[in-house]
Amino acid sequence: MGDSQPADSLTFQMGKFAAALPADMRYCRNHMWCRPGDDGVHRFGFTAYAIRLMQDVYFLDWCVNVGDVLAVKQQVGNIETSKAVSDLFAPIAGKLTAFNQDVLKDPSHINVDGYGRGWLFEMAGDLDTTLDVHAYRAFLAANWDQTQRILKGQMGE
Amino acid sequence: MSRHRLTVVLSQAPGKHPAKRSLEESLAAALLMEPGVDLSIVPNLYDLGPDHTGRLYLEGVTGDLAVLTWHFPRAAFWLLDRIGVKGHEGETQLKPASDDEDEADEAPPESQGIGAAGALPDRHIYCLDLRDFNTADPYLAEVRRIVAECRDRAEQKQSANGVAQVVQLGVPAKPDANGHAPALAAFSPEQLLAPADRRWYPVIDYSRCTNCLECLDFCLFGVYGVDSMERILVEHQDSCKKGCPACSRVCPEQAIMFPEYKTAAIAGAPVGAISGLKIDLTKLFGGEVKDALATAVEERDRELVADGRDAVGMAVGIPMRQAGKAQGPKDDLDKLMDDLDSLDL
Repeated sequence: MGDSQPADSLTFQMGKFAAALPADMRYCRNHMWCRPGDDGVHRFGFTAYAIRLMQDVYFLDWCVNVGDVLAVKQQVGNIETSKAVSDLFAPIAGKLTAFNQDVLKDPSHINVDGYGRGWLFEMAGDLDTTLDVHAYRAFLAANWDQTQRILKGQMGE
Repeated sequence: MSRHRLTVVLSQAPGKHPAKRSLEESLAAALLMEPGVDLSIVPNLYDLGPDHTGRLYLEGVTGDLAVLTWHFPRAAFWLLDRIGVKGHEGETQLKPASDDEDEADEAPPESQGIGAAGALPDRHIYCLDLRDFNTADPYLAEVRRIVAECRDRAEQKQSANGVAQVVQLGVPAKPDANGHAPALAAFSPEQLLAPADRRWYPVIDYSRCTNCLECLDFCLFGVYGVDSMERILVEHQDSCKKGCPACSRVCPEQAIMFPEYKTAAIAGAPVGAISGLKIDLTKLFGGEVKDALATAVEERDRELVADGRDAVGMAVGIPMRQAGKAQGPKDDLDKLMDDLDSLDL
C-alpha cells in the first residue's frame, strides 16, 4: 500500500497541480478515498485533491471513538494544516473500527503517502454512496469553479 | 563565583505519551547536571489545583524562572500569572524550525490590554513550548542562554545600584536566611509529582484583555467575576464546563485561552501567526460553516442542557458589536489573498 501513485491512476488538474486519483479506489464527496475491504471493513484517507488544498498537516484530532456508530456527515474530528483548518466528517454511515495511530503520532504521513501510510481510519458500513474514480473526477470538475469561489469568498467576510 | 540560579520547572504532559515522556526524561537528566540550574518536575501545570504541592512550590519560587510545558508560551505565562507566579515576560529565542518562512518576521499586533494586575516582581519568567522540537538539545541551549541573560541582567542591576550586596534575583516574599525561597528545599520530588486530576478552565491573557466584560455576560456558569479593581477574573475555574471553549470565541481580542483546546488559536498560539490566516475547508469537506458566535452559542446551549437547564440560544449575553466587526487587520487579509494565489487556483 506504500505506492502513492499506481500506474493506473487518473489525474485532476488543480491549476498547475495534478492531483493523482488511483483507479482502484472508491471515493467520497468529502474528498476522502475508500479502499474497500473483503471483510466489510473499509479504509479511508484524504485524496490528493484534499491534501493539496490543506498542505502540511500540523494537528489531527478525533472526537469520536473506536466502536462508535456514526451517521454520515457526523463530525468525527478536526484538522489544522499550514494553510487551512477544517472539521472532519464521517464519509459513510457505519461503525468506526480503527484509527491509524501512526498519523496521530506523526501527521506528516498524510503528506508523504496519502494513499498509503497516511490512511486515517477504518469503518464497517455500506459503500453505496461512494463514487468510482471517474465519477469522483467528474464531481471535482463540476465543482471546481465553485470551490475556487468558496476559497476566495472567505476574504470578503 | 556567581550565586545566580535559574529555577527551571518541567511540566509533564498529561497521560503517558511515550515520545513526550522520552523528551521529558532526557531533558530532566541533562538539566539536573546543568550548572546554575535548579530543576523541578511537576505534573501538567494546567492541572495543578490550589492544594497541589507542585503549585505551592511554584508560588515559593522568587527568582528568575524558566518553565517548560506542552503549551503555547502565552498560555503558560498567563496560567502562571493567574496562580500568583508573576513576573516580566522573558523573551525566548526558541523558534520552531518548521515555521512557515512567510510568517517568520511578523511583529505581533500592538496590544491594547489592561496588563497584569498590580506591580510585577522584579524577575523574569520564560516559557518554553516542548512541542517545538523533539530533541533535548535546543532546549538545553536555550536554558543556558537564559541563565546567562539573567546573570547579566542581575550584574548590571547590581553595578547600577553601586552597592556590594549578595545578589538575589527577584524580591522574595518569604526568603529564608540564605535568601533562597523556602520551597526549594521543602518538597520532595515525589510530593511535587503527586498525580493531579485533569482540569478545564479559561486563562486570560491580560496583555490583550481590554476588560470589556463580554465573557462575563456570555458565560452562564459563573466562571467569571471581577476583582476589587473591577477587573475581569477567572473567579471559579472549576465551574467551567469541560471541553467548552465558547467564551473564547466571543472574546473580541482573542484574550481568552484554553491551553489544551484542539485548535491552536484558542489554545494560545501567537496572535496573528495562525488564526485569521487559514482557509476553512469545512464546507468543502462536508460540513456547514458557522461563524464563531453561532458556534459559541451552540456550545453554551449544549452545556446548559447537560446541566438540566434551558438552552438560551441568542437571547442572553450576546455581544452587540458583531455588525461592523472587522475580521482582522488588513495585513492578514492581504496575506490570505497571497496564500490563495499560491495555490494556483
